[in-house]
Amino acid sequence: MLLDLSEEHKEHLAFLPRVDGAGKLNVSSDTVQHGVEGLTYLLTESSKLMISELDFQDSVFVLGFSEELNKLLLQLYLDNRKEIRTILNELAPDLPTYHSLEWRLDVQLASRSLRQQIKPAVTFKLHLNHNGDHSTKVLQTDPATLLHLVQQLEQALEEMKTNHCRRVVRNIK
Amino acid sequence: MELSESVQRGFQTLADPGSFDSNAFALLLRAAFQSLLDAQADEAVLDHPDLKHIDPVVLKYCHAAAATYILEAGKHRADKSTLSTFLEDCKFDRERIELFCTEYQNNKNSLESLLESIGRSLPHITDVSWRLEYQIKTNQLHKMYRPAYLVTLNVENTDSQSYPEISFSCNMEQLQDLVGKLKDASKSLERATQL
Repeated sequence: MLLDLSEEHKEHLAFLPRVDGAGKLNVSSDTVQHGVEGLTYLLTESSKLMISELDFQDSVFVLGFSEELNKLLLQLYLDNRKEIRTILNELAPDLPTYHSLEWRLDVQLASRSLRQQIKPAVTFKLHLNHNGDHSTKVLQTDPATLLHLVQQLEQALEEMKTNHCRRVVRNIK
Repeated sequence: MELSESVQRGFQTLADPGSFDSNAFALLLRAAFQSLLDAQADEAVLDHPDLKHIDPVVLKYCHAAAATYILEAGKHRADKSTLSTFLEDCKFDRERIELFCTEYQNNKNSLESLLESIGRSLPHITDVSWRLEYQIKTNQLHKMYRPAYLVTLNVENTDSQSYPEISFSCNMEQLQDLVGKLKDASKSLERATQL
């Protein structure tokens, strides 16, 4: 799949070959900004679509740059693709994601309304991330529910190993 | 156990056969337990024909004293000897002491359950639901092709009676981490209960 670069994009990127060896730019700030934007667009779109090396090279070819510059751009794409995709992933509509879990075993021995108790409980601190914010939730449960939670979530993990899921993963590419 | 003067006076009245004959005593005792333990009990619990001859003010006073004492005894896990000692001090005869102790023993478990459930605690997890999805693309990112889980914890808040939910997403690795930690907690709990 080739990248679809509009005339405007091609114009913005046209400034790239004009950057001389010493890194000095003898152009207006607007041109520089457009150049940067053009480059950004090129890299993010390529990363988003996960286009192949060949497709990237072909897309860039239409810009009429030198062999050297094309190689440079390709390398830039390949080196940064993974990170760009990670960042793009964070832009999607999202729920808080699991970060980690801390736990603690407690035994309640007494309360204001009843003395001499032995009431075991597990206290959790659930760490979640959401759009860069880290939040924690402190929760508790009893031993029976804990076993139930483990059982249910193990079933969830097992699901990925079923034939149905394997077939889906194999066939949707 | 610290008991107020009004509780003690109430019991002294209950001990007196002139104020409460055997039948009335037994009925009042049962009414006291019922008011505390029966969720559907209402004021009519004292509306028994065999209690009609007693001054309603005295009836309510003694009913309150009995209920108060029962709660205190339950709270401190009083044994038969503690109960007997107190009742003897209030001049109860043997028969009434036996009756009280028997009624108390019969209702002890319900009473302790009730007392145990009163109080504040952290939000309590009651259940979990999960959803497995296969992510294909978003408008920002194509060709994702990876599984993801959505986990929802059902939580109960003791004081506010609210039922918030905590939902979060995670990938396979993260879910494995979560399950691993839950299993550690579970094993630790098992070991602790064997000590």
